[in-house]
Amino acid sequence: MKPIAGTEHSSGSVLDKVGDFIIHHISNSDIHHPIIHLPNILGIDFSVTKHVLMLWLTAIIVGTIVIFPVRSYVSKGAGKSPTGLANALEAIVSFLRDSVIKPNVGSKAVDTWAPLILSFFFFILVANGLGLVPIFDTIGALARFVFGVESSDEHSFANLLLHGGATATGNFVVTSALASITFLSIIVAGTKTHGFIVHWKNLVPSGLAWPVYIILIPIEIISMFVKPFALTMRLAANMTGGHIAILAILSFIPIFAEVFQTSFAGFGIAVFSVPIASALIGLEIIVTLVQAYVFTLLSAVFIGMAINVHH
Amino acid sequence: MEATTFLPIGMGLIVLGAGLGIGKFAASAAESIARQPEAAPEITAAVNLPLFLLEGVAIIAEALTFAMLFFGS
Repeated sequence: MKPIAGTEHSSGSVLDKVGDFIIHHISNSDIHHPIIHLPNILGIDFSVTKHVLMLWLTAIIVGTIVIFPVRSYVSKGAGKSPTGLANALEAIVSFLRDSVIKPNVGSKAVDTWAPLILSFFFFILVANGLGLVPIFDTIGALARFVFGVESSDEHSFANLLLHGGATATGNFVVTSALASITFLSIIVAGTKTHGFIVHWKNLVPSGLAWPVYIILIPIEIISMFVKPFALTMRLAANMTGGHIAILAILSFIPIFAEVFQTSFAGFGIAVFSVPIASALIGLEIIVTLVQAYVFTLLSAVFIGMAINVHH
Repeated sequence: MEATTFLPIGMGLIVLGAGLGIGKFAASAAESIARQPEAAPEITAAVNLPLFLLEGVAIIAEALTFAMLFFGS
């Protein structure tokens, strides 16, 4: 039986194929085989790879579930209580604003920074959640086994879509883009509250003996860059790690069948590895929520540290 | 013996350290909430941030070890 997605080119034992399959699943699609070819503009390749497709989907879904309920709520006029989806949104928004953003950023700047931080939350939550939904894997499996599209067909759109369905936030490039927004907003927040020069002076406490500054200034400069780096790595590694764990546990099935030279060994280990993988999916749902919350919380904390300086 | 032979042991050590740290957090948070149930929101808020920082360090170490395991050799 052929493997589901393009691992046919790799020959060798099952162990090599399994490793290739896991890497293929979590990494972005090959730059030479994107889902939609677009021309180079100013030396940047605008082709749509699977993570870009997932980002677009995320943007469409977030736009739909946030903008339309809010529009209908606003057009209803003030003083009316929200209904339906707007009600659910209001619960999340007011929780994040009152217990995450306000204690960290301070009650003066909460209205300035709440929109940005809430956008982070909804975007990351939906992007994380979409990574758990096997939409494209289902479409690809249907095309393969029901409509009989050969897996070697490089031009079939279903085969190209099969490369989709990964977590967009599991890509370090995506999360580093999100973290750079946090990095810039830390600087903007400090500059807005204290002025440009005082913001940079605030990085180190004033009134210490001068030899301390020789150590302190490099440390503070490093910590300025470590904060967004930690945000990047935390989100991407968490999203990638869960997928790797699930796939590694599921790939015990072909490995055992290969090692013991009988498919019954595969069935035997499937009794254990399928429930464990299902339980890991449950854990992934919690991780999805927690990571969106953590990115939100830490962004609020870092922005608040630039606004309310205390040493 | 290759350089990557001991990396899985390192991954295990990271899990041990992070587990000990998070366990300590949870234990003392539960203790202090039991002693002062009315201060539960403040205790949770105070525990959250260092918990996530610890988790971040652990996950970064795991990711780097995993990267070395796959791409280092």
